[in-house]
Amino acid sequence: MQQLENILFTAVMLLYLAAMLLYFFYVALKREGIAKLAVILQIVGLTLHTASLILRGIAAGRLPLTNQYEFASCFAWGLCLVSLIFQFRFRFPVLGALAAPVVFLIIGYAAMQSREIHALMPALQSSWLGIHVSTAIIAYGSFGVSFVLSLLFLLRGRVRSGSFWDSRIPDSEKLDMISYRSVCLGLLFLTFTIVTGAIWAERAWGSYWSWDPKETWSLVTWLIYAVYLHLRIRRGWRGKSAAILAAVGFICVIFTYIGVNTFLPGIHSYA
Amino acid sequence: MAKKIWKFLSSMRFAIILLLILAAACAGGSFIPQGQSFETYVSTYSERTAALILALRLDDVFHSWWFLLLGLFLCGNLLLCNLLRLKPLVARTRAMGQMPEGEEAGLQAETAQDPAPVFSAMGMRPKERSRNEVRVLYAVRNRAGIWGAWVCHLGILLLILGFGLGQMTHQEYTVYGVPGQRLPVGDTGLSLTIEDFQVALREDDTVEQYTAQVVLENPQGQVQRGTLSVNHPATLFGLRCYQNSTGWAARVRITEDGASLQDQVLCAGEGLRFQDKPELVLFFHAFYPDYVLIPGSGPATQSGKLNNPAYLYSLHYGEQMLGMNVLQNGEAITVDGYEVRFSEPQNYTLIQLKKDRFSWLALVGALVTLAGLVLAFYLQPARLWAEQTSEGWRLFAQSPKGGALFRERFQSAVQNLKEE
Repeated sequence: MQQLENILFTAVMLLYLAAMLLYFFYVALKREGIAKLAVILQIVGLTLHTASLILRGIAAGRLPLTNQYEFASCFAWGLCLVSLIFQFRFRFPVLGALAAPVVFLIIGYAAMQSREIHALMPALQSSWLGIHVSTAIIAYGSFGVSFVLSLLFLLRGRVRSGSFWDSRIPDSEKLDMISYRSVCLGLLFLTFTIVTGAIWAERAWGSYWSWDPKETWSLVTWLIYAVYLHLRIRRGWRGKSAAILAAVGFICVIFTYIGVNTFLPGIHSYA
Repeated sequence: MAKKIWKFLSSMRFAIILLLILAAACAGGSFIPQGQSFETYVSTYSERTAALILALRLDDVFHSWWFLLLGLFLCGNLLLCNLLRLKPLVARTRAMGQMPEGEEAGLQAETAQDPAPVFSAMGMRPKERSRNEVRVLYAVRNRAGIWGAWVCHLGILLLILGFGLGQMTHQEYTVYGVPGQRLPVGDTGLSLTIEDFQVALREDDTVEQYTAQVVLENPQGQVQRGTLSVNHPATLFGLRCYQNSTGWAARVRITEDGASLQDQVLCAGEGLRFQDKPELVLFFHAFYPDYVLIPGSGPATQSGKLNNPAYLYSLHYGEQMLGMNVLQNGEAITVDGYEVRFSEPQNYTLIQLKKDRFSWLALVGALVTLAGLVLAFYLQPARLWAEQTSEGWRLFAQSPKGGALFRERFQSAVQNLKEE
């Protein structure tokens, strides 16, 4: 079963790579048909990705959410899913052109991690694991989309009126609004992640908050996005400044996920 | 001046400054190792930096006076913000339920057709009213959404309050020992007996679960039993009891000329003072269940199984270390005429007992915060009304937080109606 999972994972990587390249061709050649094909490849990739995660879950006898490889794979899955939802919901494939490289980078990071299946340590044997980590995946995916939208917002300012891109990239106000919506979704799920994590930590470690680096950086991320939401209300802070802050927020997300595990070991060291 | 300060303390600008400082403080606290000695900071940084770290309490950021002060300011800001906004929010909620009297800012459109499909496309059900003998359709949705930020702030306030009060008043004790031992629980008068402790191992030697059977007895002689394992604490006499960690322990026997002088269980990391010669101290540093000496690396264990038990110990006389070595199970060392032996290796359990009277408040705060976020993000208040005119209908739409997406939806609904 693990062999089949490995084959599927490789296929997923190739599909995401192909989708990313097609999006690049779409950007270069400005042909709608190429964007449609890229979306189809992304959907096929996401379907196979789902299958590979299910297979891993069956092989491990638990949810595949406990180590760097599994979480990175799920992170890429969440980002791909949320970006597709936003692409369809707001009808603009250019989002995919920027989201696909981020998805490919994350799945590439997953490919570099050990794929060995280990039995769970006692602290991880909890029904809270599924809720806590799956909410984190949605949160991180949403923040990833807001990061991409923020980049798109910053690019939007350079698009000439009446050009090919002018009609394909939503106007700045709409981009800002969609980015705001994805931050809202992300912040709601991040809050859920922190709360469920605290409830679980109380049961497993005897303290619902112990200023562990992972907890602390989740809080830092939460605070940065809280600042983003407050600044948007203030006059003159919507648009470019908000887009930059959303990008900073996503850097915090990445640091919470990879940086903390690399530089700041704590009780979350297995994650 | 006082009014200016008051205004600033309750302002959003102050909230943003506080959030940014808190984020920076948290990030700093995660990078600087916490709770280390001056010497450790000197070895990691420089002497001047180490002095600065201690002076600014950066060695214990999350319990420092300035971090607590930031928390207090945040609570004050949230409280003031919520108090000041309460009345306007009540007024806004009431106003949303009433149809505007005159012209109001917002989106407008005109149509000759019946506007019912626009209401339906916007997810609203209009009520028919009459104003100055003019037929008006009015609909409002998600009025509760107005309260989102307020509820969220209230939740955060309760959360910080619950956490802070819990930190100030909580009782925490740790007890460790091996099965059969009866141990006092701090100054509570309670005593804890470890009846059993099992470490369940998988085939690959990894730990599946740690389980302890304990009995807690109060000064009146009443007892409560519990089974503790990781992720499954028990509550005994109002104290939450957690299976926190484990390690190795061994029986240490000190004899002199064959006569037993001391016989007790010692956990790895503990020291034992010789009763007859208090300057002489034995330290039990580590235990190797399947001992092997790796050249160039030192003592290690090949597995978790008790195939070749060995003990790393050191002996001290006053301030001076006499020696450090590894002793096999049952093997004796002689020092000053005393014979010391380690035997009967077994796992000890470390049990944490805790009482936090305010954790429920923090949980309520967290749930209220979540509810506030849902209200703020997903119940976007909006209202839509239509006035009948001689040519048809004039439509008005307002959504304080809807922005471009609300406008697009409204315009598209009107466009669809016109195209029908």
